[in-house]
Amino acid sequence: MKSVITTVVGAADSASRFPSASDMESVQGSIQRAAARLEAAEKLSANYDGIAQRAVDAVYAQYPNGATGRQPRQCATEGKEKCKRDFVHYLRLINYCLVTGGTGPLDELAINGQKEVYKALSIDAGTYVAGFSNMRNDGCSPRDMSGQALTAYNNLLDYVINSLG
Amino acid sequence: MLDAFSRKAVSADSSGAFIGGGELASLKSFIADGNKRLDAVNAISSNAACIVSDAVAGICCENTGLTAPNGGVYTNRKMAACLRDGEIVLRYVSYALLAGDASVLQDRCLNGLRETYAALGVPTGSAARAVAIMKAASAALITNTNSQPKKAAVTQGDCASLAGEAGSYFDAVISAIS
Repeated sequence: MKSVITTVVGAADSASRFPSASDMESVQGSIQRAAARLEAAEKLSANYDGIAQRAVDAVYAQYPNGATGRQPRQCATEGKEKCKRDFVHYLRLINYCLVTGGTGPLDELAINGQKEVYKALSIDAGTYVAGFSNMRNDGCSPRDMSGQALTAYNNLLDYVINSLG
Repeated sequence: MLDAFSRKAVSADSSGAFIGGGELASLKSFIADGNKRLDAVNAISSNAACIVSDAVAGICCENTGLTAPNGGVYTNRKMAACLRDGEIVLRYVSYALLAGDASVLQDRCLNGLRETYAALGVPTGSAARAVAIMKAASAALITNTNSQPKKAAVTQGDCASLAGEAGSYFDAVISAIS
């Protein structure tokens, strides 16, 4: 799974050489920024339920009749549960990305094939964008986490939003 | 290929769990001891040629039959192959130590090595002994307790856990070939 360290090791291996001084510098740079990422991951793992719930509420405020606008109101409860489940799934992958320091988990476990799936299931990606945009504006430093940690977290939310666009 | 961080993600994904406080503690110590780890990798890679040639010379001294006709390293061609393989093993151990995970060593070096050595008629007992000598030399260099005058000018700290981690990768090599 792609991260700074595996990229460095892969490059060194394809050249059959021991880790060089510049490889060490790359890893050192990654390690220096890792503390903020791990802080964001820790806060996210503690608060993901509330984040997802607020995002679901925002989505249903914007799209009261579900993803396609065709869904009758009585199905809304089931739809909301599935919507929250999906947001929690994305937040879990964002949690992994924060830990690994790369977008590998999101790419491999969500984004590959995502558009095709939503198209086949007639789900409007715009509803997800509405939810992630809510999360993007929901986070607040220093209330939720430090500024550097929030930047790392918001970067990954932006990455997801762009992948849905 | 995985590192210490992505290993956590893969194992958490198998149960669908978030990575929380408990799992993050070991990663925080990885970060806190990051400079020690880089010094340890540097200790191995800077002394690679010395570690490898000492280990191969060591097995030849301990078992003089190796250099005799029909021995494991008889002819310069076999000796050169032996030195090359020692360096390859040490290189993958240095990668594993940098990543904090044995997957690169297992996937790219040890997978199928036993079968290859069996097919080529490599004496695995001697090969394992050479790896054991490299393990001891690496541990001395990582903890900066080597007897040679070539000591690293680094701040002294407790690198015993890193020497132990490197030792576990050498042990993985030994168990894979013997």
